[in-house]
Amino acid sequence: MPPLAHEQFFTSLADLLSKTSQKARGSVFLTQKPLLSTTTSSDTTSSQPSILIRATDGNTNAPNPKTSKVQKKSTLSKIKLSTVVAPEELEAFYARYAEVCKAGMAGLKKRDRKKVKAKKAGAGKAANAKV
Amino acid sequence: MPYLPTSQAYLEQSSLLLQAYPETTRITTKYSFPSSSRQKKSSSTAQSNPTTSTPAATPSTAAPIATLTLKTFNPTSGICLKYRTNKGAEVGRLITSLGKLAGGADVASLGLSGPAPAAVTGDVEMVDAPPDETTTTGAVNNTTASNPAGQSSAKGGKSKKKGGKGKR
Repeated sequence: MPPLAHEQFFTSLADLLSKTSQKARGSVFLTQKPLLSTTTSSDTTSSQPSILIRATDGNTNAPNPKTSKVQKKSTLSKIKLSTVVAPEELEAFYARYAEVCKAGMAGLKKRDRKKVKAKKAGAGKAANAKV
Repeated sequence: MPYLPTSQAYLEQSSLLLQAYPETTRITTKYSFPSSSRQKKSSSTAQSNPTTSTPAATPSTAAPIATLTLKTFNPTSGICLKYRTNKGAEVGRLITSLGKLAGGADVASLGLSGPAPAAVTGDVEMVDAPPDETTTTGAVNNTTASNPAGQSSAKGGKSKKKGGKGKR
């Protein structure tokens, strides 16, 4: 699959993350590694290489030999996204990337605000007692 | 490979690994929910203890908590570093740190801890020193450099506080 533009990648990734969070099962794999181009190796040695970012739902396309007769091919589609980030775009890209991940990963533990409030209230009481 | 206890330790070790093998090291972030088979097992085992089973089983089935696993892996050396969390509050900070790592940031520029610059200067001294004895001691100092630096900074903070009290 050819690498997507950043906007398209983010919308697809947000969709993938929110679907996984809604189902509350399955995984999303995000991989980052330097993209080493063999053609322009002389140029890239001096400067930073671009970063290749991949996202997948980890759904293997290979059919299980035990159940391949039962399963339909249409249900076994693996979602694969990829994009290439140039070194000068890294900061802006990762700012967006962090936003998309924060919004999409809703299945993680939320910050427990009740405890914080209780602590604050306790601290306030203690301060009042001192006064 | 074992999981590192803190995200800071994970990011520090990852940046060192990326510096050592910048071309082949990859970072994988896995956002995953616990598998359904594990939940079934836990509920079946919990049923053997009727008193504790019902409160423990119901929240897990109602809202399974996802985990975020960060993995830095280098295939040539076989080194694998992992960090796992389930706190949503950490996501933003971790992803931005991964961006810094992708940009080739070293330990010092991550801004996580003070002792990193001391280690870097230690490396430079090692190269300059010709005899074997000093290089070996230099290497030892490098590995232990993080602790004394942290202690000295902490002591400095204390002394400042003491001075403040004296003036009052």
